[in-house]
Amino acid sequence: MTRSANRRVSLFGGIDSVGMMLYIALTVVGLIAIFSASWDEMSDAPLSLSHNYMKQAMWLIIAWGVGIVVLLLDSSLWHKIAYYLYGAGIGLLLLTLLFGREVNGAKAWFDIGGFRIQPMEFVKIAIALATARVMSEYSFSISRFNDLCKVAAVILVPLAITVLQNDTGSGIVLGSFLFMLYREGLNKWLCIPILFIAALFILSFLISSTALLIALIVVFTLSEGLNDGRWGDCARYIAALFMASLLLFLTLHFLLPDGFNYYYALLITTLASLPLVVWYAYRERLRNIYVSVTIFAASILLLPTSNVLFNALRAHQKNRIMSFLGVASDFNLDYNVNQSKIAIGSGGLFGKGFLQGSQIRYNFVPEKHTDFIFCTIGEEWGFVGALIVLALMASLILRLMYMGDRQRETFGRVYCYCVASILLFHTLVNVGMTIGIVPVMGIPLPLVSYGGSSLVAFTTMIFIAFALDASTNRESPHAYRAG
Amino acid sequence: MGERFDSRIRVFVLRIVVLLIFGTITTRLAYIQLFDGRYDDMARDNFLRYVVTYPSRGEVFDRNGNYLAQNRECYDVMVLRRDLPKDGFDTVRICKAMGIEPAELRKRLRGAPYRREHRITRYPISLEEKLRLDEVGVDGFYTTARTVRQYPRQLGGNLLGSLGAVSNEMIRRNPDLELGDFVGMEGLEASYEEVLRGEKGLVLRDIYAPQGARDSVLKEAVPGKSIHCSIDTRLQQLAEELLRDKVGAVVAIEPATGEILAMASSPTFNPDELVIGRERGNNYMRNLNHPRHPLWNRTVQSGYPPGSTFKLVNGLIGLQEGVLRPHYSYPCHKGYYYGDGHKLGCHEHASPLKLSYAISTSCNAYFCYVFRNILENKRYKNSHEGYAVWRDYVESFGFGNRLGSDVRGERMGRLPTEEFYDKKFKRWNALTLLSVSIGQGDLECTVLQMANLAATIANRGYYYTPHLVRAIDGCDSIDATFRTRHYTKIDTRHFETIVEGMWRAVNVDGTAQGAKLPGLNVCGKTGTSQNSRGEDHSTFISFAPRKEPKIAIAVYVEHGGFGAEAAVPIASLIEEMYLTDTIQRPWLVDYIKSKKIYYPMYDKKRK
Repeated sequence: MTRSANRRVSLFGGIDSVGMMLYIALTVVGLIAIFSASWDEMSDAPLSLSHNYMKQAMWLIIAWGVGIVVLLLDSSLWHKIAYYLYGAGIGLLLLTLLFGREVNGAKAWFDIGGFRIQPMEFVKIAIALATARVMSEYSFSISRFNDLCKVAAVILVPLAITVLQNDTGSGIVLGSFLFMLYREGLNKWLCIPILFIAALFILSFLISSTALLIALIVVFTLSEGLNDGRWGDCARYIAALFMASLLLFLTLHFLLPDGFNYYYALLITTLASLPLVVWYAYRERLRNIYVSVTIFAASILLLPTSNVLFNALRAHQKNRIMSFLGVASDFNLDYNVNQSKIAIGSGGLFGKGFLQGSQIRYNFVPEKHTDFIFCTIGEEWGFVGALIVLALMASLILRLMYMGDRQRETFGRVYCYCVASILLFHTLVNVGMTIGIVPVMGIPLPLVSYGGSSLVAFTTMIFIAFALDASTNRESPHAYRAG
Repeated sequence: MGERFDSRIRVFVLRIVVLLIFGTITTRLAYIQLFDGRYDDMARDNFLRYVVTYPSRGEVFDRNGNYLAQNRECYDVMVLRRDLPKDGFDTVRICKAMGIEPAELRKRLRGAPYRREHRITRYPISLEEKLRLDEVGVDGFYTTARTVRQYPRQLGGNLLGSLGAVSNEMIRRNPDLELGDFVGMEGLEASYEEVLRGEKGLVLRDIYAPQGARDSVLKEAVPGKSIHCSIDTRLQQLAEELLRDKVGAVVAIEPATGEILAMASSPTFNPDELVIGRERGNNYMRNLNHPRHPLWNRTVQSGYPPGSTFKLVNGLIGLQEGVLRPHYSYPCHKGYYYGDGHKLGCHEHASPLKLSYAISTSCNAYFCYVFRNILENKRYKNSHEGYAVWRDYVESFGFGNRLGSDVRGERMGRLPTEEFYDKKFKRWNALTLLSVSIGQGDLECTVLQMANLAATIANRGYYYTPHLVRAIDGCDSIDATFRTRHYTKIDTRHFETIVEGMWRAVNVDGTAQGAKLPGLNVCGKTGTSQNSRGEDHSTFISFAPRKEPKIAIAVYVEHGGFGAEAAVPIASLIEEMYLTDTIQRPWLVDYIKSKKIYYPMYDKKRK
């Protein structure tokens, strides 16, 4: 008890030192990378605040100050003010929508005293807090439909506003909460369809609709076969389906003056076969076929809507997706990604050395200190350096998950997982786009990318998690609660 | 759906998900950083540029070391689209600096590659324009130094030719050339293209180095070799001045070497007009469409009837064949009568006459006898065989073939073969071809060939292939063909008789007394060639002094009338200038300059 009492009076008492060290390491790495990306050897005054690295250093000090303030506050405060913060955040987003400043087509910014701030950076904290609050309410059960709707509303309302702001990129981050929801016991029958629909949406651009339909039929029939082992019936079903559709196609093709599309023939045949399949399932008492049929029907309905959804996107978003999928190429975008790959790819095992990256030096990489900061790391510090940064980030995420798991309160656990989800999504998308495995979205690499508001916001977000964790530790240092 | 879940499994699954995501990123990173080697090269390509450095073209000097062609620095404007300011730039201002139309700049920018330097100026810009461009200072615009020609004397357009941009056809034939290179199109610039061009250099340029571009030279540009031309600028200038407003040509040769001292064709063009630049196209088209064809080098590209100057050749052949002796005399009563009342007319002079006087006074009838005697020599089966022998002799003077000089575009002239006459006439003999005896008929030769004839006679029987270049910097000597004597089939001893006649023509009682220069013993032979297009052509070949001749010259003035009217004074003035460095007869210069010759055949409106 003496030990725990001592910790109570200390500012850093109970703070997870591993997490803290990872945080500090990442911010320092970020500062060095930004220094390298924005160093100008021709400059007369290298310490002038006009340089990005000096600004970032200043912001880092501010961020640490904010972090200390967060640690000084009573951690139970966050639970209390979660809804107020959330309300304020939604208000702020709406204000931005009305009075914000447009940058790169997204009306998601505020100019305050010469600094440009993206409110969504901070509102994310409020959303995480509010989600945690909702899910930690007494009698909340994720398997109850009403409760699930509440969580969904908390997440989807700000997401909708960011879509209106034309800043879908930072809104989609909230989609990463699925990660947290899974941890909290979201039915996997909800997780899988959501991922399945996302995959279908992407696939619908890549392959022709006929091929996609055939693939769907085969996949669903195969899964049936795997479930029930009735391979004979499955084969018969597929054979019958294709024979019938071919017959329909040939008949109509020669009867109709304009010919007929095989896709429609197959679609009609398949839809007509569904009642038969249901009847078969009823007779054979195979209940899981109902699930398959429902999902199948839903995905067929989704296919045409994916085009409608796609057309609702803004031009630059469409371009990014199309360009990433390789369907159409957007020159500038391809160029940026290509340059970023060149910078990282030319880094090799140990990199070109600090301040030695030619691609960074000569401005081939766009946004080299903000969204594409990972290029600086990849080029100058090589595979080893990039791996170290990634390892730090992965460790921080895993540490946050671990901190969440040892929380006593659902509130703290959900919040920690929210933070981990956001960091994971940011890292995946940001690093992924620099190496060409994710479409370009303008979201920063947490703690590393240049940008004051982003740094302060992430610091606050992470330090709240530290504070919640610390309070648990203070109460019972050896407590570990998993679920 | 109320099933319980095992949170330990879910936590485990999520950790696996995190590790999988980072594993995927790491795998991809390892692939592009460690295994895919392309990116290294692409990175280098990004900031290193292969920049071509242009050699300066070899300069052209005249025989006294004056510049005929020199280089002026100029610049190509290159644009690297990637480096252009992202938020646009002042197109109008930069166009004004470069002196091009904004519409053209936009058009050229549209076609420019993004990552490679692209030339956006069709013609190089001047130093002045380059400095203005630097002052405007827009990122992404670079200049590359080049040279274009300038011709300080503005002389010898036909002789020197001009440079032009290479065509695709030329590039196909010569893989060293690239689009945007300039090569000699005509004249000396073309015939010595390989010598003058030099070799392009290659520089690997780190264009983004913070202290300005950093070069590493892969290959130094090798400047073209300078050429020392045999042209004498004073003579060239005088010849061009005297021929101005007339149509014709002058070629002066140093007989002892075959070096061409002056080579003027009129009308001509100012070579500076055709220097690569904005105006070249217009000037070229204007010259091309000019009714008098200034681009035509009349010294080698026109076939003229040699007229009476050709009598010298016939006389020499007669002497060599033994059918003519200097003391043979023939009668002439205003012409040569043959067949049923046919007559080849002649002017009034003393008769009968001997060879030297026949040359001096240019008697037609005398040479009709000579020509008949050559062709109807008893030694030969018939006059056809006689003609073949005659033709052989004539060919040895360089007629009927290209001389092989370094003058661009040389024509063969026309020395008809027996087959030609077989086709033209059903039956033919010496009388059919009688006009050939006085250099008319189907004979044609270039002025260069006529000057070569003068040089051959001055040398008493041999010539060096006429050439324009005396020396090339860095080469031990000029081409061996220009250092070889070509002997005619006439023995040296026969020439003195002919020279005597030519001397007499100028100095005693002949047709060319206007060419007389005291103490210089000028020898010459006039010619007045009839032609179907109008007034007779006035021509004159000459050399001086009689012993150890320094200059041989041929002048041809189209439709200039008698040889003595136009050609003789021009030749005489050029000889005087060359041999005495002064002109004592300014009135003769004025006479020639003010002499009007009308050319209705050229100046008719073209349909």
